[in-house]
Amino acid sequence: MLQIEIDGKAVEVEHGSTIIEAADKLGIPIPRFCYHKKLSVAANCRMCLVQVEKFAKPLPACATPVSDGMKIFTRSEAAVDAQKSVMEFLLINHPLDCPICDQGGECELQDIAVGYGASKTRYTEEKRVVLNKNIGPLVATDMTRCIQCTRCVRFLKEVGGMMELGLINRGEHAEITAYVDKSVDSELSGNIIDLCPVGALTSKPFRYTARPWELARRPTISAHDALGSQLEMHVKNNRVLRTIPREKESINECWISDRDRFAYEGLNSDERLTVPMIRRGDQWVETDWQSALEFASSRIKDAVAREGGNALGVLVSPNSTMEEGFLAKKIARELGCGNVDHRLRRSDFRLDGHFQGTPWMGCNIPDVQDMDRVLIIGSNLRNEHPLLTHRLRQAVRLNAAEISVVNALEDDPLMRVAFKNTCSPDDTINFLLQLLKAMSGLQRLSLCLPPTLNGLLEDVVVSNNAQAMAESLAGHGKDYDLVNPRSAVFLGNMAQQHPRYSEMYSLAEAISALCGATFGVLSEAANRVGLDLARVLPSSGALNARTMLEQPRSAYLLVNVEPEVDCHNAQLVNQALAAAGCVVAMTAYKSSALREADVLLPVTPYTESSGTFMSMEGRVQSFTAVAKPLGEARPGWKVLRVLGNLLGLSGFEYDSSEQVKNEIFGGEKPSRVVWNRLNNNLRELTEVNAKVRTESLQRVGEVPLYESDAIVRRAPSLQKMAAKKPVVAAMNAKLLAQLGLQDGELVKVSQGNGSVRLAAKCDDRVADYCVRVPICAQTAALGDLYGEIQVERAA
Amino acid sequence: MANEVCFRTLDLPNPASLETYRSIGGYETLKRIVTEKVPATEIINQVKISGLRGRGGAGFPTGLKWSFMPRYYDGEKYLVCNSDEGEPGTFKDRDIIRYNPHQVIEGMAIAAYTMGVRTGYNYIHGEIWAEYQIFERALEEARAAGFLGENLFGTNFSFNLFAHHGYGAYICGEETALIESIEGKKGQPRFKPPFPASYGVFGKPTNVNNTESYASIPYIMQHGGQAFQDLGVPNSGGTKIFSVSGHVEKPGNFEIGMGTPFPDLLALAGGVWKGRKLKAVIPGGSSTAVVPADMMMQCTMDYDSISKVGKSSLGAGSVIVMDESTDMVKALSRLSYFYYEESCGQCTPCREGTGWLWRVVRRIAEGKGRPEDLELLTDVSNNISGRTICALGDAAATPVISFIKHFRPEFEYYIEHGRSMLAA
Amino acid sequence: MLKDHLKTWLLWELFAGLRLTGKALFKRKVTVQYPEEKTPLSPRFRGLHALRRYPSGEERCIACKLCEAVCPAMCITIDSDERPDGTRRTTRYDIDLFKCIYCGFCEESCPVDAIVMTRHFEFHMEERSQAVIGKQRLLMNGDRLELQIADDRAQDAPYR
Repeated sequence: MLQIEIDGKAVEVEHGSTIIEAADKLGIPIPRFCYHKKLSVAANCRMCLVQVEKFAKPLPACATPVSDGMKIFTRSEAAVDAQKSVMEFLLINHPLDCPICDQGGECELQDIAVGYGASKTRYTEEKRVVLNKNIGPLVATDMTRCIQCTRCVRFLKEVGGMMELGLINRGEHAEITAYVDKSVDSELSGNIIDLCPVGALTSKPFRYTARPWELARRPTISAHDALGSQLEMHVKNNRVLRTIPREKESINECWISDRDRFAYEGLNSDERLTVPMIRRGDQWVETDWQSALEFASSRIKDAVAREGGNALGVLVSPNSTMEEGFLAKKIARELGCGNVDHRLRRSDFRLDGHFQGTPWMGCNIPDVQDMDRVLIIGSNLRNEHPLLTHRLRQAVRLNAAEISVVNALEDDPLMRVAFKNTCSPDDTINFLLQLLKAMSGLQRLSLCLPPTLNGLLEDVVVSNNAQAMAESLAGHGKDYDLVNPRSAVFLGNMAQQHPRYSEMYSLAEAISALCGATFGVLSEAANRVGLDLARVLPSSGALNARTMLEQPRSAYLLVNVEPEVDCHNAQLVNQALAAAGCVVAMTAYKSSALREADVLLPVTPYTESSGTFMSMEGRVQSFTAVAKPLGEARPGWKVLRVLGNLLGLSGFEYDSSEQVKNEIFGGEKPSRVVWNRLNNNLRELTEVNAKVRTESLQRVGEVPLYESDAIVRRAPSLQKMAAKKPVVAAMNAKLLAQLGLQDGELVKVSQGNGSVRLAAKCDDRVADYCVRVPICAQTAALGDLYGEIQVERAA
Repeated sequence: MANEVCFRTLDLPNPASLETYRSIGGYETLKRIVTEKVPATEIINQVKISGLRGRGGAGFPTGLKWSFMPRYYDGEKYLVCNSDEGEPGTFKDRDIIRYNPHQVIEGMAIAAYTMGVRTGYNYIHGEIWAEYQIFERALEEARAAGFLGENLFGTNFSFNLFAHHGYGAYICGEETALIESIEGKKGQPRFKPPFPASYGVFGKPTNVNNTESYASIPYIMQHGGQAFQDLGVPNSGGTKIFSVSGHVEKPGNFEIGMGTPFPDLLALAGGVWKGRKLKAVIPGGSSTAVVPADMMMQCTMDYDSISKVGKSSLGAGSVIVMDESTDMVKALSRLSYFYYEESCGQCTPCREGTGWLWRVVRRIAEGKGRPEDLELLTDVSNNISGRTICALGDAAATPVISFIKHFRPEFEYYIEHGRSMLAA
Repeated sequence: MLKDHLKTWLLWELFAGLRLTGKALFKRKVTVQYPEEKTPLSPRFRGLHALRRYPSGEERCIACKLCEAVCPAMCITIDSDERPDGTRRTTRYDIDLFKCIYCGFCEESCPVDAIVMTRHFEFHMEERSQAVIGKQRLLMNGDRLELQIADDRAQDAPYR
């Protein structure tokens, strides 16, 4: 600790900190533009110049490390003179755009100019002008306003992983631009809007709509991925006009992904369902709540009365709140129905009943940044968890972490991957067996393998890649800390949706146990962990999300589900819904996917309701509504409560969602409950089949970044980003040649009795025997996300 | 006595060839140092005694700079020669490379031995092509003869030297911008600290010196530091190549001892041309303050005299001579334009300030000046000085301040009458 | 005492008062016979609002919302959006003339001289709801009164 003096105040600061860090910690204001606590230091705006004793020139506070006994003056005449002169220089070429600039009212240049700017300008020459570039549908540019602080450049390079913007030309002609004709495509690009201290980079969807002082700021939690990012929604006249991050160092730091930032557009979509609807024949008729609820409850009661509780199947979207899931499950249980599930995209349920608790991430989110060896199995990192990928990227950058990736797709995570194995979903099991054998062969590891696995490993031949990966994960002979392991094995979304997930899980658990690594699941949706904790799961012996479709029920209750794009097998779910006698759909949107429903009950998206999400690290986060419900829509938990009452069930007298939450956690403090229940361990290992290997074509049905849930699908700007990657059937050159196809040729892709015509594309990032056909509205005629697929030239 | 150090081969046939260089004893010093394993401390000591100061313009004592390089470092270190020579009025390094490239190579090799470096780069500015090729040829000759490469003279000292061609930017003459350019990035200066001796090329300790500085080393090690110091005057040891340009009969490079009176240098260059009178001299390249004729004639060409008597700086020793017909306002306008064009654009005062200065001076030169302009120029220049990442900001401000200080009447005439004070 | 009696019986105060009345009867009147006569208005008079246009016909208002923010009575309501040609314009610009205190802050704060207060003060509404005037009405006011508005601004310009 060093002793320094700032503005006459004696303080103690850590060795290695800069003057600006010390001042920020002490609350002493120093004006700055290019410094940001999360980015590298550039020291090019020169706004933070302060006077330091014994130095003739003023020094930049952001780039000057403190030394013992340093005396710093931030308000002395010399310091203020320097700061004022820099302010003057910034303003001479800055256009007089404040009235039309969106940043007005929240502009750092305006705010600092109030303190350090002159009231009249001395500059009477011409001002320079910079042409605008179109860098995409999300970020609007007005580059004449740019003050070349380079925060955006540093952000996209360090946090985003790829230098998509750069400062070209020199002197007065210096401008920030993307590569020629390129746009900024990073999934974190929206953060440069927050970073830009002036109105050069602004939000395109929000352009010109409102001033910051007119907006009500209301906090909420992200409902699009399992990180649990904390958001702030800005609302005017009951419409959400934009979303910005809330700062939370231990979850999302001060960033949010583009998906979180721009999904709000979907909330105001024209497709919002605002009145209950009942289907009569082929016509949808608008009706009132009373009639719709009575229709729904009577049909459900009839089905249950005729065939017993199991006639009903309840499917809950994994992005629903815990309250919605819990109430849906409660209705089902009270009706004697065990068929409740939220794992819509899952296809392998063999682990059910084997878990000791609720699977979760295994560690806290900031821990990821401190790791130095991580193995990721079955995850397209940037698509699935943008901000967690950023944490991994920092681990690589700052700790020289070694990342190993085992997946069917080799998409670039924009960080150095030390070892990778790209293989088909089936071959992944074989590779994991190799990894396990290699790991057990590394001598220091004294833990024994479970006997069930030992037999399997006898015939396994360890490849060089597997050996290298195992050595990396085990730490290359360095001692590892069992209490705070700096290594981890994670399973991603693609693994969770894989038809042999249980085998992958068992093997991954064994691998991590052998080397003492943290083991965890990077949950696929916003509230998988929460709904699992609330036991929104099939009761013992009942049907799960897949079997309740394979064996169609008479009645279905769908909570926030768009069946063919939210479930694992679109054909299966459509068939099941068509066969059912009664489908009650609680939804926020009118959707063609719900054409088989019989009654549509309009519920609100999460922003107009209160509820609770649990993130993948097990954090319980509750939120309240940021806007009033649109039209006749009502919060999901309220609808379920009324439905429960109408079905004649007891225990549905809730006045608030807090009461529901209380019941979920048994009246105890959530953190206490969570601590006891989160557990990735299996009671016993499931059967692993090494030999099963198909030579037929397998589909890799990933969920694209902007297809994840109903709200995101209806956000126009995000869909414009998605449209940059057209839907194709992608396969590597070897497979294309094998099938005798040309790159770009129109092919017919079929699964079961459904097919789609797509262009074939050569993509060497796809593993052998795999065809990459993502799930979206266009491919909703197909079946399993991961399963056999046929590809032939379109006639 | 002239051409004693860097221009030793100037008058010999085929001056740039290895043969010629060896005929004057070239590479013998390197061989002696390496094979006799002369301790680095002794070499640095000799360089300190020689009083050699950075010949690129900053004038930092070279011996002291060499002592900043970490002695024991686990990893690669680098040596860089700054032949970017962008300072207006400077063309000495070009001639060193053209006429005596091997002396630079030997100087760098001795430096590499001293500082424990195995890889060096000579950054030659992009505007010259023939000299670059001459240097490449010299490198090939040196490699073939065993003066560059692995295990020189049978010892375990290896030194590989490469020429790196720039792309035409004055800012790349700034050592950290030069380092960025070598790394393949945009030539933008880094803020100091950290200094190149701790964090240079690719983040490794690096020593950057000017061409002439390296070229002086073989002489120093051959004849001893004191001999070099004696060629000059106290605090300005050795010889210096002065690039004399402007209104003289015989512009060119003149290698003379430090401390030579300015009138002597002017006489070497043939005196002011066309029989005209001397008006002003810029002694060290456009980044140094202009000195009116009467003050300059009192100066001797060394650091102390020019700074005390001339109120300027020796800089790179690029002497720009201006006769009585020079319109100082137009001259300043052209100089300001140079800095406006060459600013890298990173930091605010330089990026915005150089443009402002140029535009106001240009306006005065066009006859549209206003009375408050002179105070404005001085104020803006003072606002730029000392507040930038690198010295280009100070370099842009110095001419403005000095021209207005010494030639104020000319500016005031322009403002008042809208045209030059000088008769047609 | 006698004086008082005299004053009372000879109606002294009455005549004194009548003298004053008589004087005033023939004095020049300052009453302005409105509506036939009108008092003079200054170019800075703050009457009914109007939204101005540029000589090219383009509306001046660029939805900066400074007028809305500065209005002490909070009588201006603005919604804005991007026009198809990419410029920033209002989609709604309402002024509640009953809330308005006619202070002129909106006019002072407008950076482009869009919202102005005209000399027109003789207006009425038949129903209360007509007090909220919208963009169309304001633009119409501006179009009708532009010559007068421009003239008034030119007169005041040297003092701004």
